[in-house]
Amino acid sequence: MIRYVVKRLLIMIPTLLAVGIIMFTLMNFVPGDPAQLALGSGVHTEAEIEAKRVALGLDRPFVVRLGEYITNIFTKFDFGKSLIDGTDIKWELMKRFPHTAKIAIFSIVLTVVVGLPLGIYTAVHANSAGDRVSLFVTLLFDCMPSFWTALMLVLLFSLKLKWFPSSGAKSLIYFVLPTIANSLGGLAGFTRQVRASMLEVVQSDYVTTARSKGLPEREVIYGHALPNALIPILTVIGMRFGSMLGGATIIEVVFSVPGIGQYLVNSINNRDYNACTGGIIFIAFTFALVMLLTDLLYAFVDPRIKAQYVSSNKKKVK
Amino acid sequence: MAEELKNKTTGHHGEGGHDGHGKGKKAKRRHHIDASIKPGSAKYVWASISHNRGAQFGMIFIVLIIGLSLLSPYICRYEYSATDFAAMKAWPSFKHLFGTDDLGRDILSRVLYGARYTLVIGILSTVLSAILGIIMGAVAGYFGGAVDSCLMRFLDLFQAFPSLVLAMAFCAVFGTGVDKCILALGITGIPGFARLMRANILRIRNMEYIESATTINCPTWKIIARHIIPNAISPIIVEIAMSISRNGLASSSLSFLGLGVQEPKPEWGQMLASTRNYIRDFPYMVIIPGIFIVLTVLSFNLLGDAFRDALDPNLKD
Amino acid sequence: MAKTRENFFGIRHLTVKYHSGNSIIHAVNDVSLELKAGETLGLVGETGAGKTTIAKSILRILPESSVESVEGDIWFEGRQILDMNDKELQALRGKSISMIFQDPMTALNPVKTVVSQIAEGYRQHQNCSKAEANKRAIEMLEMVGIGADRAEEYPHQFSGGMKQRVVIALALACSPQLLLADEPTTALDVTIQAQVLDLIRDLRNKLGTAMILITHDLGVVAEVCDKVAVIYAGRIIEQGTLQDIYDHPTHPYTCGLFGALPDLDKDVERLSPIEGLPPDPSVIREHCDFMERCPYACGKCKKFNNHMIEMTPGHMVRCWKANEEE
Repeated sequence: MIRYVVKRLLIMIPTLLAVGIIMFTLMNFVPGDPAQLALGSGVHTEAEIEAKRVALGLDRPFVVRLGEYITNIFTKFDFGKSLIDGTDIKWELMKRFPHTAKIAIFSIVLTVVVGLPLGIYTAVHANSAGDRVSLFVTLLFDCMPSFWTALMLVLLFSLKLKWFPSSGAKSLIYFVLPTIANSLGGLAGFTRQVRASMLEVVQSDYVTTARSKGLPEREVIYGHALPNALIPILTVIGMRFGSMLGGATIIEVVFSVPGIGQYLVNSINNRDYNACTGGIIFIAFTFALVMLLTDLLYAFVDPRIKAQYVSSNKKKVK
Repeated sequence: MAEELKNKTTGHHGEGGHDGHGKGKKAKRRHHIDASIKPGSAKYVWASISHNRGAQFGMIFIVLIIGLSLLSPYICRYEYSATDFAAMKAWPSFKHLFGTDDLGRDILSRVLYGARYTLVIGILSTVLSAILGIIMGAVAGYFGGAVDSCLMRFLDLFQAFPSLVLAMAFCAVFGTGVDKCILALGITGIPGFARLMRANILRIRNMEYIESATTINCPTWKIIARHIIPNAISPIIVEIAMSISRNGLASSSLSFLGLGVQEPKPEWGQMLASTRNYIRDFPYMVIIPGIFIVLTVLSFNLLGDAFRDALDPNLKD
Repeated sequence: MAKTRENFFGIRHLTVKYHSGNSIIHAVNDVSLELKAGETLGLVGETGAGKTTIAKSILRILPESSVESVEGDIWFEGRQILDMNDKELQALRGKSISMIFQDPMTALNPVKTVVSQIAEGYRQHQNCSKAEANKRAIEMLEMVGIGADRAEEYPHQFSGGMKQRVVIALALACSPQLLLADEPTTALDVTIQAQVLDLIRDLRNKLGTAMILITHDLGVVAEVCDKVAVIYAGRIIEQGTLQDIYDHPTHPYTCGLFGALPDLDKDVERLSPIEGLPPDPSVIREHCDFMERCPYACGKCKKFNNHMIEMTPGHMVRCWKANEEE
């Protein structure tokens, strides 16, 4: 098992490297002169701009700058400085990350806690009235843009009912509406995936075998069908977590949560490409870690995959 | 193994026509289609879709919204960009059915005219990702080996980002505007189609009739054109409908963030962004464009679902 | 139907319909069978003839979503299975009647160890401790020739033949009185087939279990069974003792089956297959089911209403010609 973890970690490194290289390269070709941006608005002489360019290290060849950028990220976790205000991007990201993480984690928890039982229920009672209502409602939620859902939640729960605050991130209560808004769409899709996975498993032969043994229906569904349905669902949860992380960007803008997403959107709108590159790479790193954790969990749960690594270990020993 | 399972579950999140272990009730029959029509034929697909109530709604809404959007300059009383400072922030009335926005612009005209952005971006970006994705997936799946691993590793990089963040990154690079938005969403969508196509090709490639075609020296291009593509097309059609729905949603998200379509073009997400400060006192400004987004996205989604059901005989096995 | 309850097990007028798309599939039509304790019946027929449906109806494990109706009577030790509630059914399944499934590859739960899959059924019925159930499960595994050291392994670690042994152990764990073996050897290699068959026969003899053996292999039937029922298009077209069927096959279809069997004693150039395909199961016919494929068909067959004709006591045939020949 340890071998597997190590192997997976090693596979992650080239991906992350490539992500860094691609983002840096892409942003390098964005039209507009970073030196001019860094100087701010107003008229600047050619000499001023040239001096700034040297100060930012932009006069050096692209490959040198790329190498330096990547090295800094991987050795010092240093993303450079913001073009606009010169703040250290790493600290800015670290300061903001807890907010984004909170939204994403609360969202995935809400999604799983509601979506899993609902998906199982609708699969076991397929074509019942409850199933149809759930299918319709989840389809509708799936089609609602999260920012609009967010605005509607604000309208109802914070402006009309005054139950929850509509902006900021001062305490946990501020995260209630962002979490719901970020979850609803994904929750709907997740419920449908659980239902589909469960339906497939419920029809499989081993479930019939379990039933033919004389097990009670409850045991057949929860003891035999569910564990098998959950295996693919685990990956779905990982993917969902990733999209919740992405979705948080939009939600943060609506609810003025000072998270990474808001930082990213602001930096794109301000053409602060250093901050933008840093933010995107940071999100990609987090995403990669989540997917790694899911894969590890996956291997842990499914004996077929677990066995591949256990048996390869055995062979090595012999 | 894990990969396969992943693709299986994430590839389509819809509901099959199956039943679980219910409590002794009868399953709903499929739509009443003339038994003489062969499942899998174009006629069957059409019959099945035209009998599906969701698809009926989807098709009617899509045709209606396209028509109204094209005709909106002729049928609307107000020009979408015409400001009227005498009628700013007017609640819905007979004069302005959906009211006016903060600059006195008629929201009905804006919403109808603005439909074209969501539709054009949704459809063209899907066309872009479908064409590139299908080619890449087909090449990877058919040739396998080094070509396959190179292409797939490259596409893996795309999936290192949550898709919205990736689209934002491309927007940052390309800039704003309808064409840039199409490009950003189109590129973001390539891996989805490529993976789907590759999985399909692998599935079909290993079937015996391909083997028999190979043994009688059927040329490669002919195998691809005559045997593989026709069999891989059904899941692609479903994915196209779903992708239009997704990209329409994404285009309004990007515009909402100020990264997509810009003022004064009345893109729905952009309309929401520019009026959301008035939500407390004039909620109609925010509610109405949102409803149109939901209905449009829903229409394509229902159409995709109907296609999936209709093509199900082909998707099975 | 209070009749013939003195018998151990029986089916009377069983009719099962499925729905598929817009059409109704008549999978099983008016099937009646009887079995004494300890007896073995061979149910022979082509793929799709309705054999598995009969077996699954007995345990009431048909896929409910596609079943249109199940009519008739199935009784076991004087009780009507089709009238049982969930509790009674659970007590019956696995304990009194159990089933060996056709495909061992998919019949076992991939995420549970084989020992736990056997033990849980035993525990359910015997109400014993987990340790006791495990002990019994390991005994069962050893009985089918799988060592205790492999008990904690998962199904994917076993070969097809080994998996089928596990399935057999699972079915026999509670010493059922009736075993339904649904093509237990079809999915296996020929060399393994004989082993598994021997195993089933030995265990049946040892435990005195009655058995319904579903197969399309007449050779297997001859080795194991006391009685035979030949099924075609959801109907039993000939049934009787092993001798009745093998020495005096009467229905043209039965004769056809024997014609399609290689015989090492005779020097025949080619086997003679039965021409044509089984009839459309979504149509109920007014004439003999086998008419289209029957080499002896004539006008009278069009008026034959598929009723059973008793030739000798216990030897029944669904062909009007049977009457004439005798």
